[in-house]
Amino acid sequence: MPELWQDQLAFSDSERHFVSLRRDDHIDVWLICWTPANDTGWHDHDVSCGAVAVVEGRLRESAPRIGGQPAERVVGAGQSIHFGADHIHRLCGDAPRSVSIHAYSPPLWRMGQYSIDEHGVMHRISVSYAEELRPLEAPVAA
Amino acid sequence: MNRLTTPSARTPPPSAGTPPASARTPPASPQTPGASLKAPPRAQPAAIDVHQHIWPPQLVQALRERREPPRLRGWTLELAGEPAQSIDPALHDPEQRAAQNAADGIGLALVSLSSPLGIELLEPGAAAEPLAAWREGALRLGEGFLPWASASLRAPDPDALERDLAGGFVGLQLPACALLTTGDWRQASPLLEALERSGRPLFIHPGPAPASCASQPAWWPALVDYVAQMHAAYFAWRAHGRPAHPRLRVLFALLAGLAPLHGERVAARGPAGERGVVDPAVFLECSSYGTRAIDATVRVLGIDQIVLGSDRPYAAAPEPRLGEAAHAAIRHANPIRLLGSEVIERCMTKTASAKAANALSGATFQSVT
Repeated sequence: MPELWQDQLAFSDSERHFVSLRRDDHIDVWLICWTPANDTGWHDHDVSCGAVAVVEGRLRESAPRIGGQPAERVVGAGQSIHFGADHIHRLCGDAPRSVSIHAYSPPLWRMGQYSIDEHGVMHRISVSYAEELRPLEAPVAA
Repeated sequence: MNRLTTPSARTPPPSAGTPPASARTPPASPQTPGASLKAPPRAQPAAIDVHQHIWPPQLVQALRERREPPRLRGWTLELAGEPAQSIDPALHDPEQRAAQNAADGIGLALVSLSSPLGIELLEPGAAAEPLAAWREGALRLGEGFLPWASASLRAPDPDALERDLAGGFVGLQLPACALLTTGDWRQASPLLEALERSGRPLFIHPGPAPASCASQPAWWPALVDYVAQMHAAYFAWRAHGRPAHPRLRVLFALLAGLAPLHGERVAARGPAGERGVVDPAVFLECSSYGTRAIDATVRVLGIDQIVLGSDRPYAAAPEPRLGEAAHAAIRHANPIRLLGSEVIERCMTKTASAKAANALSGATFQSVT
């Protein structure tokens, strides 16, 4: 139902614009607006499963692959992806003024953020879902 | 060092229907490679503490003139349901409080008459003097304070409340123990309708402990009776309050006694079809709780509904340790959504807090650290 979110669109290269559309005991639903400069960095959703429906523009999803290039897929308007709580990924805007609707169940609470040190060792920290995920640097091959 | 991600500091996204982005902090500056994953220390915006108590001299005098509880004999407080307690006058000194608040990064403290005194529940004739004393003293506390109004529940006077709200009081505090039954909510409805008309929030705070608590340890009311009152008032609000007052913004003290954590029990035993949809106009302040209880409540309600409350002088401001974004949301962005930045500015111009108005209003925000 676009009328629930169409008047809340905003785009910024420096921070993703996101709006909570609904939260109940079972699910939370977000509107997220993207530019090609927006990038979540590698993260997971702790115990939540998720689904992402792109309604305008395009997103690029990457999943880290040990010893290789990340597995990538581009999600266009009208397409959606879904994933379990075991999924690690990063999402980037792939077209100007891209818009997606995200649903998580159980509702987002904590998330894992990943980094790789100079020895190639991956680290995870647990952060509140209130933090906006973003990478520190350009994408790095895992 | 090759860090992939770093948490950035920002307030959480606004809920649907709330003003977008205006209360957000800017994103953190890009860090150099090798920087810690932890966001760098940054100047924090001045916090708003929605739950403090302070007794202006006028109220102290009015309590001393009473012949029966609640009353003050010198600086000894006598209540029907709690052991007599000695009060340190310094705890109610506005200058000392302002210094404590500044040290805690609190730029604005909302202060209220202590509802456990039970003034709101006295016979109208007996309530009039202490309520008038609060009304007179609370507006003169000085910069950095804004008061919650108090009102008689035996003889609700919505016109007087609206005058208070126009004169510098931010909203109305009522005791939880008087907001339980349908009759309670009907009795309070003239006041609640005045709040709705004025666009001001209701603060539900524990009321007096029953006389049976007097034989218990001194900590008993805070651990048992106050918590139980808030738990009951939270569900009474859902059953009776919200249906009658669809536009009212409500603040529950002490995380509503952790009532929101009973969502699974609501699903099992509550109203049919209840999905626990978060009410964006209901806020909870977190006084005397810490990381575990606040984080558990965030898990149920999300971060947007939690606001800073210290309950000073009885407790200190909690530090949730949930990250910089949650910190900024709880201490600044969410209280502004609860109160409304226009309401804060309007009330400040009516009180001695005018100078602080500039420091707390969105775009002209000044840092205190």
